[in-house]
Amino acid sequence: MSAFLTYLLNGLAVGCAIALIASGLVVIHRVTGVVNFAQGTFAVVAGLCMSSLLGMGLPHGLSEVAAVLVAALAGLLTGLAAIGRRGTTALSALIITLGVGVLAYAVEIVLWGDQPRSAPGLAGSVIVAGARIQTQHLLVIGVTAATFVLLALFFGRTYLGKALTACASNPYAARVVGIDTRLMGLLAFALGGLLGGLAGVLVTPLRPISFDTDVTLIVNGFAAAVFGALTRPVITLAGALLLGVAETMAAGYGYGSHQLEIALGLMIVVMIVQAGRRPAVTQEST
Amino acid sequence: MIRLVAGLLVAAVTLALPAVLDDSALAVYILLGLAAMVTVGVSLLMGYAGQVSLGQGAFYAIGAYTAALLALGGVPPVAGLVAAPVVAAASALVIGVPLLRLRGHHLAFATLAMQLILLSLAGQLEFTGGDIGLQAIPQFSVGSFEAGSASAYAYLTWAGVALVMLVTHNVIASRPGRALRALATSETAAASSGIPVGRYKLVVFALSAAFAGLAGGIYCFYTGYVAPGSFPVLISIQYIVMAVVGGLGTIWGAVVGATAITLLVQGLNSLAALPGMPSYAPSVLSYAVYALVLIGVVLFLPHGLLPAVAGRLSRKRESLRAR
Repeated sequence: MSAFLTYLLNGLAVGCAIALIASGLVVIHRVTGVVNFAQGTFAVVAGLCMSSLLGMGLPHGLSEVAAVLVAALAGLLTGLAAIGRRGTTALSALIITLGVGVLAYAVEIVLWGDQPRSAPGLAGSVIVAGARIQTQHLLVIGVTAATFVLLALFFGRTYLGKALTACASNPYAARVVGIDTRLMGLLAFALGGLLGGLAGVLVTPLRPISFDTDVTLIVNGFAAAVFGALTRPVITLAGALLLGVAETMAAGYGYGSHQLEIALGLMIVVMIVQAGRRPAVTQEST
Repeated sequence: MIRLVAGLLVAAVTLALPAVLDDSALAVYILLGLAAMVTVGVSLLMGYAGQVSLGQGAFYAIGAYTAALLALGGVPPVAGLVAAPVVAAASALVIGVPLLRLRGHHLAFATLAMQLILLSLAGQLEFTGGDIGLQAIPQFSVGSFEAGSASAYAYLTWAGVALVMLVTHNVIASRPGRALRALATSETAAASSGIPVGRYKLVVFALSAAFAGLAGGIYCFYTGYVAPGSFPVLISIQYIVMAVVGGLGTIWGAVVGATAITLLVQGLNSLAALPGMPSYAPSVLSYAVYALVLIGVVLFLPHGLLPAVAGRLSRKRESLRAR
């Protein structure tokens, strides 16, 4: 029973990290209609940055914040490449973000080499109802919960957040009332970078990160995001938690080598079921 | 007339090259031909059927493993080479029935997921040799003739390229080809005009998989071994880059794109191998080139290299005539 609880809480922590990446995908897709393939890259950049900054002797807290800001900057640059030029279609933008992800490989190898890197996080563990949980896992869960609350407040209560939501629901009407949709798109990319960076900073102490970890991260994040049809953050969170728990349970009960297949298979099934429900016309007009 | 002469010239150069190139240059020439074969399929799929596949490397791998397993099992290599595209196409049909209900970025991610699943399976299963893969694959042979030299493989590869281009040309020029162009613009409109959208998409998916499978089959006989590491996700991205650079939906564009990217990467590799360059230089340079070329072309030459150059030439000719 305590093993089950350990797996469950570890799974929730893994799911939270996936949820952060997925929420970045959702924010960017809602506002710009672009699926950002470089979303996993932001996490990798932030994780590697943090390990370097900590290695240089910067204190905890400062290093993490700096790394997240670097990821946000990376997000902004990706946005400039993907939607900076007028008339770029959503699918072209997907291919551009794919290019950005590969370009990041080159930069990351030059700066950090091709070996996985890790960073110290919160040490120690606590006992919850007889199950031993690493403190870092609890930190991941706590930060993610706080982030989602802040996101909800930002989109629901602030003027800027409402402008972003306006772009998401009707870009034409948003332009009519004087919202600069392109600027909002870039802002969404920066926010996506921020969320991705947060995930990277939280995950790096748990499992070492290297330049090509982004494929696993983005695939998991996308799998979670498709639960919410790439637009609904709450369902995305639920999907990510489900995915994280399912993967951790599979690993814990001896199917560890099939972790990736489970996540990917689940994603494909969800997408196909969703596609079956929507008629082709609505999908083409968007 | 100009087209015919140019075509004959290209064919003559293609046939003459294996005789004059040395072995290391021939290796590049063969890999270039194999990449061109897959890229023609990607270009057909993306340009004509409007579907993005990020998992074309999976069919390349299926072809390679099929030919390798059959050859190791004592089946004549010719049968293995024929089976490679057939098995790849058959798996595309099976995978395509559920997957092709998706479109756009969903399909892109689903095909990527398919390749990841396949690679992971190939790395774990007993009969595919796990992560080590399959080794000591016999040389390709027809009857008593054995393809021992690199130039024999070069001819085999480019015969394959010619076959793939011919098939694609005939598909595009046919009635289904026009139907494909229609469904790439709007599936709803195409379906209303009586085009069996689902079936046509599936057939093109299978056809492009067959091209990749054929290339994979030749690859496994040429290198003599296959392993999951030979088919990374980057290889699928590379085919997209080549197709986009050459110009989607043009047969010659795919070949031009494959040539341009392969030569560029080779040139940079030899640059990176110069003394004084850091050990990570080759991979960094090739990543950077793929990325920058892809982003640059999508942003500034959305129709690709070949149509852009051809368009400029024809405009120049017109302006000369107008004078």
